[in-house]
Amino acid sequence: MEIKRMASSSSSGLTFKLHPLVIVNISDHYTRVKSQLNPPPLTSTSATVNGVENQQQAPRVYGCVIGVQRGRTVEIFNSFELLYDPSTHSLDRPFLKKKQELYKKVFPHFYILGWYSTGSDAQESDMHIHRALMDINESPLYVLLNPAINPTQKDLPVTIYESELHVIDGIPQLIFVRSSYTIETVEAERISVDHVAHLKPSDGGSAATQLAAHLTGIHSAIKMLNSRIRVLHHYLVGMQKGDIPCENSLLRQVSSLLRRLPAIESEKFQDDFLMEYNDTLLITYLAMFTNCSSTMNELVDKFNTAYDRHSRRGGRTAFI
Amino acid sequence: MEIEEKQAEVIDHFVKQASAQKGSALGSVVVEATSHPSLFAFSEILAVPTVAELEGTDNSVHLEVLRLFAHGTWSDYKRNSGKLPQLVPDQVLKLKQLTVLTLAETKKVLSYDQLMLELDVTNVRELEDFLINDCMYAGLVRGKLDQLRRYFEVQFAAGRDLRPGQLGSMIQTLSNWLATSDNLLVTIQDKIKWADTMSELDKKHRKELEDRVMEVKKAVSVKCSMTRPF
Repeated sequence: MEIKRMASSSSSGLTFKLHPLVIVNISDHYTRVKSQLNPPPLTSTSATVNGVENQQQAPRVYGCVIGVQRGRTVEIFNSFELLYDPSTHSLDRPFLKKKQELYKKVFPHFYILGWYSTGSDAQESDMHIHRALMDINESPLYVLLNPAINPTQKDLPVTIYESELHVIDGIPQLIFVRSSYTIETVEAERISVDHVAHLKPSDGGSAATQLAAHLTGIHSAIKMLNSRIRVLHHYLVGMQKGDIPCENSLLRQVSSLLRRLPAIESEKFQDDFLMEYNDTLLITYLAMFTNCSSTMNELVDKFNTAYDRHSRRGGRTAFI
Repeated sequence: MEIEEKQAEVIDHFVKQASAQKGSALGSVVVEATSHPSLFAFSEILAVPTVAELEGTDNSVHLEVLRLFAHGTWSDYKRNSGKLPQLVPDQVLKLKQLTVLTLAETKKVLSYDQLMLELDVTNVRELEDFLINDCMYAGLVRGKLDQLRRYFEVQFAAGRDLRPGQLGSMIQTLSNWLATSDNLLVTIQDKIKWADTMSELDKKHRKELEDRVMEVKKAVSVKCSMTRPF
């Protein structure tokens, strides 16, 4: 059994740029496969129970990453999925070729830069796949996504590995070395990621509606401002009592800061603000009116239908 | 606050000079300090013991000049010009800049007329040049000039040296600010609770309606099945 050896940093001098589309693709692929294997849980509580039980069965998904290499900068734009054949420990080559041709037609500049997989750490079996891809790209990349959700972790659970030839124990061996990367976004990617981030409150609080989520954001911002002002206040009181030596430059800065208050108090602001407030209220009222009248219309239609049938069956004159 | 950073070195330099000399030699230090183009803070120099000693001696006039630059305006100088020595043009410019700062302390919108009166400037063009070149480019103030309404809106003004009583009023302003933001936080929390309660009520109402609809549907289907056979 080969001992797993990995150097901590790469020395090839290439800079990597990763697009968020790739990360979303990989996580989407993994989620789909995982939910197709296990029956989807009905409630959120049973999901956590299932998650703990199924950790050993977390499926590994595989695919290819494509992008552009310009000089020393490697930019990974997109990715697609591949089928993994566990019997031969290799990826499905004919499918790979077909996909490659299709992508070449749409994106002529994109080359296959490497492959991706999910898991918590790079393993030895990955080296086989890595070597197999070396005939397409002399130095492929290995993008690893860790699907375990760790709420305390601040960075993305994505690592990019390169392969390097190191001489270990007298034998030149290919090992994985970790490389650093930056996230690069196109305008469209930035808008969609931003939109998704705003839909769900990040701290998982009890904010049931979007309004409550928005207000919670404002609340935390004001709380931070409050704590900072409190520190300043404390400092000044201490200075007045004489506990802290007077520092004139700071006092000058504080006085210039306080002079900016009150920030907005002019008449013109009040006028504009009230106008916009009234406009919003009017439009909400109008929308409510339209809603009500359409519901009323439906009710009348249903009423008419019900009464018509009644009268027809009984042979009486139609209710007009 | 870039001005403070720019001033820090100059202040140190002058404080060293002031503590090294005494008496009438301090006069030249004071003149140099007050004409220096990027120095607007004088309370550190005022705090140097050799300078404070000048009080009551023949050279107290230098102390007066220093105090004027620390807290006073151009109109103060004009009123007391008999007692104070003649100012060099550099000092005159600096005093006018400091006057603008003092005016910005009380009001956020300064009218051109008032500025022209305080600064002894006769036409608008000169006033605007002074404001733009000497105040804004020096980083003392930031704001907008409204020529049609003849206003100067101040968005930011650097701080002048503090008078002894000003610390108390600053603390008062800060505590007011704190109280307002605390109230605001409480209000926002109430609003969040209100939003949650309303959405709960709405969900309950919807559920009730749906339950009633289901019951009525069942009743109708039972009736239909009873009256069907014929």
